[in-house]
Formats: sequence, C-alpha cells, structure tokens
Amino acid sequence: MTALIDARTLASATVLETDLAIIGGGPAGISLALALAGSKIRVLLLESGGMNFDPAIQKMYSGTETGTRYAPLDAGRLRQLGGGTNHWGGWCRPMDAIEFEARDWVPHSGWPFPRQTLEPYYPRAQTLVEAGPWIYDQKGDADNAGEGAVLPLNGGGLYTSWFQFSKMRADILPTQFGNRYQEDLKRAPNIKPLLHANVTAIRLAANGKQVERLEVATLDSKGGAGKHFTVKPRMVVLACGGIENARLLLASDDVMKAGIGNQNDLVGRFFADNPIPRDVATVVSFSGPLAPFYGANQNLANGAIMRATFAPTAKFSRAARVGSSLSTIESPVDLDETGKAAVITTAIALGVDASNAKAYSLGCGIELMPDPDRRLTLSGDKDALGLPRLKLDMRIADDDFVRFNRTLTELGRQLLASKAGMLRINCHTREDWMTRMDWGHHHLGTTRMSADPKQGVVDGDLLVHGMGNLYIAGSGTFPSYSASNPTLNLVALTLRLGDHLKKVMA
Amino acid sequence: MKRRTVIAGVAAAGAAAAAGLYRFTDIFVKHYPPTPYDDLLVQLVDRQQAARLGAKLTGAPDAGALAAQLRAGLKPDSLKAAAEADASAGRVVEVDGWLLPRTLALLSALASKV
Repeated sequence: MTALIDARTLASATVLETDLAIIGGGPAGISLALALAGSKIRVLLLESGGMNFDPAIQKMYSGTETGTRYAPLDAGRLRQLGGGTNHWGGWCRPMDAIEFEARDWVPHSGWPFPRQTLEPYYPRAQTLVEAGPWIYDQKGDADNAGEGAVLPLNGGGLYTSWFQFSKMRADILPTQFGNRYQEDLKRAPNIKPLLHANVTAIRLAANGKQVERLEVATLDSKGGAGKHFTVKPRMVVLACGGIENARLLLASDDVMKAGIGNQNDLVGRFFADNPIPRDVATVVSFSGPLAPFYGANQNLANGAIMRATFAPTAKFSRAARVGSSLSTIESPVDLDETGKAAVITTAIALGVDASNAKAYSLGCGIELMPDPDRRLTLSGDKDALGLPRLKLDMRIADDDFVRFNRTLTELGRQLLASKAGMLRINCHTREDWMTRMDWGHHHLGTTRMSADPKQGVVDGDLLVHGMGNLYIAGSGTFPSYSASNPTLNLVALTLRLGDHLKKVMA
Repeated sequence: MKRRTVIAGVAAAGAAAAAGLYRFTDIFVKHYPPTPYDDLLVQLVDRQQAARLGAKLTGAPDAGALAAQLRAGLKPDSLKAAAEADASAGRVVEVDGWLLPRTLALLSALASKV
C-alpha cells in the first residue's frame, strides 16, 4: 500500500518521473486517479494542501476583484485533498441535453458533443459522489415522503425535477473526496499521492507543444518558499479548479508568451458561476402547506436523498429563449396586506378555497450567459511561492435577470392555470437582485472546450489545443454552463477523460 | 295571546331584523355605494380586497377606459371562466409583483378607482 507522501519530506532538487501527473487533488483529480487505479499508467497526484485546512496554504488563492460584487477568490474553494468537496452541499443533478446544444439565444454556447457522450459515465460518477440510485427524473418514492400539497404544473413551461444528494458512509453528508477516497488512493499500486506539493510552473519544450517538466515547491513552516523539486511526466492533467487552472496556464509563459493554451486569448475569459439569489419570488399554495420534498431533503427508503426543483422544459427554453434555471422552495413566509388581498381575490375568482393558503420564498440557481469579458487575468502581486495572483473582472448582465423573470412568469402562469397557487416576482431592479445574491462557487468556463481552437482552450477530449500532452479536467472546461451543480457532471466528464488516457497512453 | 301567535310574531320580527341587517349593514354582506360600473364590479365577491390589490396596478387607465376594456370581453357572471382562460393563454399581469389573470387585474384596478 502506498502512503500519502508529504512533499516536504522530499529532498530539494528531487526529480520525479511518472507517466501521468495530475495537478490538483479535488473531485476531478481524485476521480481521474481512481479511474486509472490498477492500470499500467504510473500516476503522480500532486495536491497543494494536506488533509486539513491550512490558512497559509489557502492564502495562496487570494486575489483581487473588480466589477460586480463576488465572493473573495480565496473563498468558495479549498486547497486541501478533496478540494471543494470539503465544503460542498452535495447537490447533484445531471445536465440537461439542451445544455450541450448550441442554443442560438445563448451566445458562445454548445459543447463539442451531445449529452449521450457523457451518459455512459454518469452511473460511475453517481457512485463516486455517493448520491444513491439514479432516479432523478423518476422521483423515487418522494411522493410518499410525507403529507402536503403537490403543485401540479400541468405540462407547461416548467416541470418538477429532482436533485439528489451526496451522502458519505450513511451518516456523513456529503461525500468529501479526500477523506472518503484516501484509502483507495493508497491501495492503488500505480498511484502516488503527493501532498503539500504546489506546482508553480508548467515548463514546455522549446517547440511549445509538449510539457517537459513541472516545477513544484513546498511551503516552509513560516509560510514562505520551502523545497523545490521537479516532476517529469509523459502526460499532464491540470485539475486545480476553474480558477487555478487558468492561473497556472497564464503564469507559465516562458515559451508561450501569452501563457499556455492562450494563443487565442481565451484562457481566463468566460469565467462563470451560478448565481443563487434567495427569495426571488413568493410562491403561494392555495391548499395549504406543501409536501416536504419541496423545501427540505427527503431520505427515501431506497437510500436516495431527494428534493424537488422547478426546471424549464427544453421546449419552453427554446420558445422563450431563456437560460437554464432551477428554482427551489426555501422557507415559509408571511404575506403583507397586498399579498393577502392578492391571494383572496385570485382564489375567489378561480373558485378555489384558499383559507389554508401557505406562502413560501423561492430561491434559484441560474445559468449565466457566457461572457468573454467576465475574465481572470494575472495581477502584479505574487503569492508566497512567487506565482502571480489573479484579478477577476466579474459581471452579470441585466439580461440574465430579465431572462430568468420570464421563467418565473411562466411558473406563475402555470400555478394559476392549475389553480394550485400563485406567484409573486420579488426582484425587478438590479439592486433587488444583488441584495439577495449568493453564489454557487461553481467555477466555470475559463478553459472552455471547443473543437475549434479559436473558440476553445481544450478540444472535445480535453486536450489543450496546440499541445500534445497537456489535458484539463474540471468544470472550467464547460463552454456553456447549465444550472445544475457541476460536481456530478465534471466527475462524469473526468471519467471519460480517464478512458481516453487509457487509450492514448497504452 | 296564544303561544303560537307569539312565536310567529317573534320569528317575523327576527326575519325583518335579519333582512334589515343584511340590506343596510355590512355584517352579512359588504355594501358599496352605487357606481356606473356595478355591472362589472358585482363579479368581485370581496371588492375591498380587490381594490386594495388593484390600487397597485401601475399604468392602469382611468375607470371609464378600464370599464370599456372589460365590457368588451367580460360577460356577466363569467369572471371565473375569464380568469381560467387568461391563465391558460398566458395573459397574466404583474400587480405589485403578483402575477394575476389579466381580467382579474383590470377588474381589481377598476375597483380601486371607484
């Protein structure tokens, strides 16, 4: 059994040779290592952090921001084994088929392949995130999870879809990849996990088409530069997350002056996250309290944990030219006098008894439109190991909000048409939205995937355009984003990369 | 006086009192001053609540124009059918953020203007 190796125990100037270097031990890096476990490929998994949170290591993530208020760059991600899964919420949902398509109302949209290409990898991804049986569109026995009103949407523009939730070892929620899979990593004879190993540069051969070596450094006990060593891999997979991947590519500029893979000025552009504003609408159920699966996770007898959400159909998305969104009941709210008047007047007009009506706030996750000017660039500041820090220019277009309100309007219409309830839209100005704004911390788009090198940093196999041995894994490769939480989807995409690497490295 | 006569008298007095309360007070049913739009407003069971809501409809025309618009489409005793048809056809209007069937929103706005 291999141990988790602490890179601080290596001698300076050590040179490690390997078949494959995976840079980053988050969900993508660990999934890829596990996919290759037992193969003949010697894998070195390089993780910057250790098993636990360390403020000095985490500080290397900090950067600056301009534009729309956003989470600090050292928040929302974690520099330790398991990466972001050490603080994720465990929300899982596969992307919809339409989100892989080039949608003419979503600029720069379209994946190089359809959802069917990922489908063979979803079952294994579902197993890795430990989200139970695959019953997203079947809801399992959620209807029996408790009493309460069900909102029939009657075939309109939105339908009731379902999240499933990651659950680690029956009682810990959700699965933290580092804790959960460290023993599997140790058991695999071909995998060598190296902790506290910070890749500070990707060095290319003079022709600029091959990675020749990785420069790696450790932090010393005072938070400064410690030991330096070198990794010489045949292949490299960059799996540090959507923000850090762009940083390493841009900072590795000794041969390719604009940075690796940046010959078309795309690395760091198209940054995205899922805005998850709270209380964007008020939903009233005329017949009383809603079924519990709307507002809270439900443990089902089959082991799945599920929660209902309202999703636009592909037909409605096309007709109304809206982006993806997932709207979820949050918590009960009290109505003001106008709200009470609205419910009384509307229910009477529709011939419905609303004497037990109950109101709830509605939250949502929204798919942003891809925007090349929402962008990460290097700043003049450097971290403790000399790597340039990042600057984020964050933006949200008013049109992103306008599109989502079209979706809410359809949901409100459906509730009226089904006589099940009604809806109030709570956000009308940019300020309304921004005061309710929260973020999914889903870092997307900065090394986008496209078959066309002028439109993407990586191709459909996740190989960096123009490079022979450098791949990128993770949600940073998503060219358009979905509203579904990315972890399940990026794990599936990474497992596909694993199959590809097995072929090309055989 | 016979017992039966007394009972009948009391019953008659009670009925008269109840009729009076019904017609001249708001205890059983809300009474509104007559308006030129009562043929429309009669369809609102709770005109007071509707008026509270309708007052929030921004950009509504004056009462006369609203009434003309409503009379063109709203038949007597057909608010329920009109509201259902509006919802089915996507004719919804935002009033203070609340999404309402268009006919109901206009009728409520009319109620707020009289």
